[in-house]
Amino acid sequence: MKTLLLALMSLWALEVHATQSDMLDLSGFATLGVAVTDRNDTRFSRVGFDHPGDQNPDFGPDSVLGIQANWRFSPQAAAVLQVLSRESPRGSYMPRPTLAFFSYQLDPALTVRLGRMRGPFFMFSDTIDINYAQPWIRSPIEVYGLNPYVDLDGVDLLYRTRIRNVDIEVHPYFGSSRIDVFEDGESRLKGIIGMNLALSSGDLSIHAGYSSADQKLQWSDPLHDWLQGALRRTEGGVPFAEQMSGSDGRARFASAGFQWDNGRWLLIGEYARRKVSQNANSAHGWYLTAGRRFGTVIPYLTYARQIQDEAIVDIPPASELSAAVEYFNASRNLAQRSVTAGVRWDFADNAALKAELMRAETADGASGSFYSFDTSTSALVRGRTVNVLSVSIDVTF
Amino acid sequence: MSPSEQNPASWLRLLVLAALMAGALPVNAQVVMVTAAAGPVETLSRSEAEQLYLGRRTTLDNGRAVSLLDLPIGAVRNAFYQQLTGKNPIQIRAYWSRQVFTGRALPPREARGIEEAREILVAEPNTIGYLPEAEIDSRLRILLRLP
Repeated sequence: MKTLLLALMSLWALEVHATQSDMLDLSGFATLGVAVTDRNDTRFSRVGFDHPGDQNPDFGPDSVLGIQANWRFSPQAAAVLQVLSRESPRGSYMPRPTLAFFSYQLDPALTVRLGRMRGPFFMFSDTIDINYAQPWIRSPIEVYGLNPYVDLDGVDLLYRTRIRNVDIEVHPYFGSSRIDVFEDGESRLKGIIGMNLALSSGDLSIHAGYSSADQKLQWSDPLHDWLQGALRRTEGGVPFAEQMSGSDGRARFASAGFQWDNGRWLLIGEYARRKVSQNANSAHGWYLTAGRRFGTVIPYLTYARQIQDEAIVDIPPASELSAAVEYFNASRNLAQRSVTAGVRWDFADNAALKAELMRAETADGASGSFYSFDTSTSALVRGRTVNVLSVSIDVTF
Repeated sequence: MSPSEQNPASWLRLLVLAALMAGALPVNAQVVMVTAAAGPVETLSRSEAEQLYLGRRTTLDNGRAVSLLDLPIGAVRNAFYQQLTGKNPIQIRAYWSRQVFTGRALPPREARGIEEAREILVAEPNTIGYLPEAEIDSRLRILLRLP
């Protein structure tokens, strides 16, 4: 159905385009980025977004290429198609549509959009792949790792107005989303209902958002599959096995943040929380970034933290599988704290070079944003300190 | 891996370069917002202009849809955005990349230069744009003076 809609839209657009040449607008963005850790047994990963544990240095976490076509059919009607290639949790770079929607302006202040939009869950969720739009190499993973759903397939409304000197955007949305999960799993959100509110005035912008959805999460990796089977074969183990994967989860996401940028100083802060009834853990995170512009160069410092509120599976009492359950929980717990020192240099029009050094300390019982080749149970249960150096070039065209 | 983090000399070079580039912007150039003298757009408030050029709206207060024109990247364009929106060139480019690649707005059409901008403005009366005041002729109507 979605493919059909997309195909029809493209055909219609091309048809109309053929008759009137300045209606079509092509543009794009790209990042070439590399991340390297200082530990041989540990790889950096944007868990939920990329394929963990390939190489060190790794081009997977941050590199991306996006091409976009905009059509304008009338002053009110428009369509956007964006196709994007980046490493998926299954290690594929197969391009896929990341924007494919019609928009119609019902009123000068009110636009309705139908199709695939970017999931707008947190303050920078809709620019998660548009690194040029952000000061960092990547939006802080302690917050953005809380929600790996990048698409919103559905409908939204953008209501924009100005009261005195405050620009207001009210953004309700409804739809569904699906992602691949490492290694062969998948996760779906259905019946997403959410609302964002953004206020901006002068140098200050404020964001608040809330959404809820039904979640169906099927992990599929050797550890999950083995433990799922082992728990089901153990007396009294079935309720624990059922907490691991399934279709009756309920997920809620909330976030609040601000940006203050007076052209010289930059301050960004955000708090976000996800509460999931089962199959994934509940956690909250926050970050604070401060930067200072010197012409085209902006050095910045970020402190970020994620804290787990509730683990996925309860630990079975006095069972020989307790340690394995603890390991399973740890392998899906991104809790960590990090300090990042970075610099962005806009060395040309529409191009930026960035470098970041992140020092992350994973929480006890958490893998954080790292994939470890040390599979001994103790490796994840105690916290580790890992340094990650990242360099990237962002361009838009 | 990263010269800018490890080598103090290259840091210094960056800072010097940055300072030179920042100093090169003529932030006090007199820029005026204009439309065709024979066109239907008769007034434009500063607030309307700011929202239009930040992609937050596509119509005037009276409901009329207008097209926007940009000059190529350069001193006049930089001064225009700085004066109208308070954002420097780097802020404005990052801001617009967000508007475009989230599918919220299309950027203004870019003229190849002042000459072409003038011709487009005259030929397409629903279009508004900006020019240095010295470049205005009788075919154009001044809507707003910046700063």
